[in-house]
Amino acid sequence: MDSIPLFQMEKVSKRYGGVHALEKADLTVEAGRIHAILGENGAGKSTLIKIMAGVVMPDEGRMLMKDQEMSFSSPAAAVRQGVACIFQELSLIPDLSVADNIMITDPPKRFGLIDRRKQRLIAMDALARAGAEDIHPAALVGDLPLSRRQLVEIAKALARDPKILILDEATSALTAADVEKVFAVLRRLRNEGMALLFISHRMNEITELADTCTVFRNGRNVATYEAGSRSENEVVEMMIGRHYSHVFPPKPRAAAIARRPALECRTLSWDNRLKNISLSVRPGEIVGLGGLDGQGQRELLLAIFGVLRGMDGDIFVDGQRVSINSPSAAKVQSLGMALIPEDRKTEGLMLPMSVRDNLSFAALDMLSVRGIIDSQAERQANEDMLRLLAVKTDGLNGPVSALSGGNQQKVVIAKWLMRKPGIILLNDPTRGIDVGTKQEIYQLLRRLAEQGAAILYYSTDYDELIGCCDRVLVLYDGTIKGEFAGNELNEHALVASALNVDHDMGRTRIEGPSS
Amino acid sequence: MSEALPMRTVKRIPKFLRRADPAILTAFGCIVALIIVGSVYSPSFLSTDYLLQQLKVASFLGVIATGMMLVILLGQIDLSVPWVVAGGAMMACAATAYGPVAAALAIPFGIFCGTAFGTLNGFGVAYLRIPSMIVTLATNAVAQGLMVVYTGGFAPRDSATNAMRYLATGALVPGVPNAVVVWALVGAGMVFMLTKTRFGRAVYGIGNRERAAYLSGVNTRRVVLIAFAISGGLSALGGVLLAGYASKAAQAMGDAYLLPAIAAVVLGGTSILGGKGSYLGTVAGVILITLLQSILSVIQMPEAGRQIIYGVVIISMLLLYGRTPSKG
Repeated sequence: MDSIPLFQMEKVSKRYGGVHALEKADLTVEAGRIHAILGENGAGKSTLIKIMAGVVMPDEGRMLMKDQEMSFSSPAAAVRQGVACIFQELSLIPDLSVADNIMITDPPKRFGLIDRRKQRLIAMDALARAGAEDIHPAALVGDLPLSRRQLVEIAKALARDPKILILDEATSALTAADVEKVFAVLRRLRNEGMALLFISHRMNEITELADTCTVFRNGRNVATYEAGSRSENEVVEMMIGRHYSHVFPPKPRAAAIARRPALECRTLSWDNRLKNISLSVRPGEIVGLGGLDGQGQRELLLAIFGVLRGMDGDIFVDGQRVSINSPSAAKVQSLGMALIPEDRKTEGLMLPMSVRDNLSFAALDMLSVRGIIDSQAERQANEDMLRLLAVKTDGLNGPVSALSGGNQQKVVIAKWLMRKPGIILLNDPTRGIDVGTKQEIYQLLRRLAEQGAAILYYSTDYDELIGCCDRVLVLYDGTIKGEFAGNELNEHALVASALNVDHDMGRTRIEGPSS
Repeated sequence: MSEALPMRTVKRIPKFLRRADPAILTAFGCIVALIIVGSVYSPSFLSTDYLLQQLKVASFLGVIATGMMLVILLGQIDLSVPWVVAGGAMMACAATAYGPVAAALAIPFGIFCGTAFGTLNGFGVAYLRIPSMIVTLATNAVAQGLMVVYTGGFAPRDSATNAMRYLATGALVPGVPNAVVVWALVGAGMVFMLTKTRFGRAVYGIGNRERAAYLSGVNTRRVVLIAFAISGGLSALGGVLLAGYASKAAQAMGDAYLLPAIAAVVLGGTSILGGKGSYLGTVAGVILITLLQSILSVIQMPEAGRQIIYGVVIISMLLLYGRTPSKG
């Protein structure tokens, strides 16, 4: 390996606001090898890929292709330099033919019109390289099953004749049998001398496919090693590393929360994204939902809150079976549910509206008589909430968009606390807010639990789950893979369970009838 | 924290100006300018008689634009105005043929028919999830078809009841036309609904971010349905007033009210995307449109030129508002 590497990245950094997404990251990609990138949520993997694909520009650092310095100002520029990317979400247009999709950015032309014959030949050639000769170039993409579409996606990338092919979670939509087919194609491409960069959350796929692995953590590359030279336990250790720690309020002893559950779910299933989930939350308890991003945690919270249609399974509130078919049914006083949604800007708040309108929006039924708002009671309730959560605002009449991110999040929480809910569902409420506000939220959650609320708390931050929750359920591929409490609740156990890796430090228990 | 700074600087402007929407100020400014321009042409523009007459004509548009505003605040549109106006008018007049009791109920019956069409619109938008542009256009066609069947395509024979004539042309308070009183009552009801009720808050919430409103536990579909029903009812009320004014209903009598109603709402500063706007702005928009139409006809501009100027003025004012930043 003395020859010049195909692609090198040196000391590349990227900041979003005050957050370092990448910090002086280095990466060397060799031709003819499959290079896997590993890391936790937010370790910088997707930023790295976006920089390589020309989607975002790095703040500093340089990139070398065969020792030639270069920069990608746009995805099209990256493609010209030989970097092609396949993302998790398919980029195909279902109403166009396979050939049209493959050549969509740069179709062959004759007299200014698309040369269909030539386009078809190129598409057939690309499909053959992707191991999908049996797909007809004139077929509509929408008529193909998912696994075939993924092959078309690969063919589309190959038609640009890349030197480096990046696959970002490209297999997550596929079944095991389809993954095998795709892997065979990827191995052949490697043997033809292409460099492949592979990102997956599935450890077994990485073990099976990769030649080289690089681990990212907190925006830096911490280790690069030959595949198979480290045990899975060592890899998990590398991914965790050492974290800064938050200040968490002390947890009560387990005896304090031994009552019948306020919220219980039995065998919840929805659209293949939630599979047989059973869980219970008792009053006074904070139950965490862990696991990698997008393993069904959001869907689970939405399902409990009555947002998802066509859900199977039963939900019990205070021991009574209930059917909840909309958020307005979930928030009635007898159920007392509240959902702090994922994206405060689009789901939690009406940004141009005033702080007042936003704060009291979910509780207006309690502040009005026969549909007419009691403005006195409304102002009182709003001011109580601003004080309770220490929201920093210029007044109730300004638009909520003028508040800082942390204060906006406080408004989202406050608008639901105004209803004094007994069951609180939180969907990653601390994302993108400052450390001080985070700590206030931890303390608030603990105080609410002490007052008897049952809290189900999804967070992408493992530290939070460990510091804040009495119990943590880890989701993987729509099922609960593990439940951890007390001493078993540590980062190693969470990460290993999130990656669906068996290990000896924390015993993995599988809950419910799914076992 | 830096986001708080612009709010500080705004505070130096006097309070009543700071709170007012720049679009509303512009609209009122244009009204004054139009009256001045008109008075240069003919001094009678400044007479109370002329202005009251304009206000009376404006009140028909005002009632219709009130319903349109509610729908636009939701981020939707109601294109069924023309034939719901005509349908309301024709059905109210039709009631006269069925004896004195029916004649007494003519006005409520006309409004009821409009509300039914509006409910159809609302059902299509809220529950069937058809884009409002399509479903209201279809409702307009259905209403037209029904009215043509009813009248046989000729001018309807029934004439307006005395109550309808009184409502449109009488003056309960001397000097103030009843039509203006009706508009004032409708407007006051709308202001109350938008500012003091849960329904009004929900309308603004849905217009700004339907998903957030839904996740806050608002029954968004019911709100949308009711808003369209109200819009249909107010269109029909506008039709009833027009029929009273002209003593009878007529084919295509509502055609002249669709574009002006939308234009009045948007000229008054209500965002065409929904979620933002005040009723005062709609009042300004209605008066502005009415004065513009009046002046163009008084200076005896030929019809073609009138239409062109009318359209150009609306487009240029919308462009003007489009440039103003949303945060005042």
